[in-house]
Parts: sequence; C-alpha cells; structure tokens
Amino acid sequence: MPFAVPMLAVLTVAGCAVDTTSPARAAERFHAAIAGRQEDSACAMLARRTAEKLPGPGQTCADALREVKLGPGGRSTAVSVWGEEAQVRLTGDTLFLHRFSDGWRIRAAGCRPVRDLPYECEVED
Amino acid sequence: MVAAVRRIKDNALSLTFLILFVASVCGQAVAGLLDYNDQQAAAGSEPVSLLDYVASSSFAVDVAENWQSEYLQFFLFIMMTVWLVQRGSPESKEPGEEGAESGEQQRIGRYSEDDSPAWSRAKGLRLWLFSNSLGLVMGAVFVLSWLAQSVAGQAAYNAQRLTDLRDAVSWGAYVTSPEFWNRSLQNWQSELLAVLSMVVLSIYLRQRGSPESKPVGAPHASTGVEG
Repeated sequence: MPFAVPMLAVLTVAGCAVDTTSPARAAERFHAAIAGRQEDSACAMLARRTAEKLPGPGQTCADALREVKLGPGGRSTAVSVWGEEAQVRLTGDTLFLHRFSDGWRIRAAGCRPVRDLPYECEVED
Repeated sequence: MVAAVRRIKDNALSLTFLILFVASVCGQAVAGLLDYNDQQAAAGSEPVSLLDYVASSSFAVDVAENWQSEYLQFFLFIMMTVWLVQRGSPESKEPGEEGAESGEQQRIGRYSEDDSPAWSRAKGLRLWLFSNSLGLVMGAVFVLSWLAQSVAGQAAYNAQRLTDLRDAVSWGAYVTSPEFWNRSLQNWQSELLAVLSMVVLSIYLRQRGSPESKPVGAPHASTGVEG
C-alpha cells in the first residue's frame, strides 16, 4: 500500500494537459502568414507529412496553399491539448496540431465538423 | 549473514513476487515503448524516449486498467467468502459458518491473546477498521486504480481522437463511453473466470504442498481444508 499510493498518484497526473498558449500561437501565426500572402512561411509551419501531401503534381506547397484559399483565422477561442496532439479553434477556422521536437506544427487546417465523425479539412495529412 | 539468509527465506514468497512484478513492469515499459514508437512512425510522428513513454497516458492507462481489475478480484474474493461458501473448496469456509463470526472465533476484545495485534483488543471504530482493513485497503486501491484508469484513459483516448481529427471528450463522456467499459470489462471477465476456476477446480484437483490446495488425500467434499 505505501508503494501503491505514489504510483497511483503518478498514474493519475500522467497525461495532464498544460501549455495551451504555444499551439494557439502556432495556429495564429499560420493564419497570419496566409493572410500576409507568405505561403512559403506557412508551409514551413506544416507537419512534414501534411506539407508532402498538400501539393498536386507539378505544384509547390505554397502554390497549393494559395489554391486552397483558407479564410481568415482570427483569434483563438478554445484550445484542447492531449499528449502531443492539439486542436485550436480560431474565430474563423479549426486546426489540428502535433508537437514535434522543434515545436507545434499544423497537421490539418480549414476544418469543418461532421457530427462525431472526423473533421473535413482543406489541408490535412 | 545467517540472520540475513533467514530473513530472505522467511519472506521468499513476497520477495519473489516483488521481483517478478518489477521485472514485468520493466518488460511492459520496454515492449510498450517499442509498440508505441512503431505506431508513432506509422503516423509520421517522432519516436519518444523510455522516460517520456512511462510518463505518458498511454502507459498509465495500460498499467491502471490491469491494477484495478486485480484489486477488484481480491476485494470481491475477500468480501464474498465472508458470506458465501462453496462446499468442497479449500478457498471457502464450511457451510453454516457464513458471516462475520463471533468475537471468540475471531479472537477479538476479551478473546484476544497475548500475541494478538493491539487493535484487535480495541473497541469501536479502531476495532471495526482493523477487522475490515484487508477488504478496505483492497477496495480502496481498486477504486483509486479505476479512477487513475479513467483519468489516464481519457487523456490517451483524447490524444487518439485528436490524431483522428475528432473533438476531445469530457471525463464524464469518457467514463460512459464504450472504450472505457470495454477496457474495464475485458479485464474483469478474466479475473472473475480465474477466481471461479480456483474455487471450483480446487474441489477436485490437488497441488501437493500448496496451501492453496487441499491435501492430496483429502476427500472432494471436505471444505476449508488447506494442505
């Protein structure tokens, strides 16, 4: 029992979400880059798999982002962080992010809810 | 030296299970890490370190869901064998002895002996607490483990939901979700089957020298006899 209690305490707190500011800023920066027509910068904020999947044949990532025409993001209204995953709701968009060793990167953007099914996203991995 | 060897021999059963437990948890951590990183690679994510993995909700929920079911099993076994009997089982009292038993049978109060624990001579709350301490501790660890499973499980479940581009769910929604109950019940059914097997098989089968078995020559109908 003396052994079990601290173990259970560790188990109970494991996985608690903490920093919601960093993913929110990453999402806002991504939309700010798009609004400023800096698609190359926005592409640099995407997760590798998302950036690789986005362009069509003969396109660059920046070309593809321009073509998608994501609407304005606005300020963040809600952030949900669980483990290495985050969902950031902006006034104009919902984004999904993953925390890599160099920080939060965008996995999906331009997302619309579909009941309890996965969101449908303009940009996703 | 002789005293140390004697002490180890006197506690060999506990020490052996402690070593097996620690080895199993370490093995689980390593195997779980390899499996987790395999999934990470498939999802295009980076591998995590062993330290990060054992602090993750994924590891915590896997540990906690097994703990809660084991402690539930022993809690139920301890409590049900107070009131229910199984004729022929060494795990059971004799039919007719159901219940908490008399003070004389339990050697409490004025029936306590010189070497009885101090709290068995106490009265009121202290005596009640000590009289039920085994069940209380097992029950408490079960509840805490199940709570830990729910908290860590929600975190792991929500991380997966976000990976799948779905909304996270609240703790209340998680503990009423099929995921939580599937994790709980798949463990409970195996623990309950194991207890059932032990109670019934020990009527007819023997393990020579084990106190969990009747003596080899004991009749099948004899109850509460441990060899």
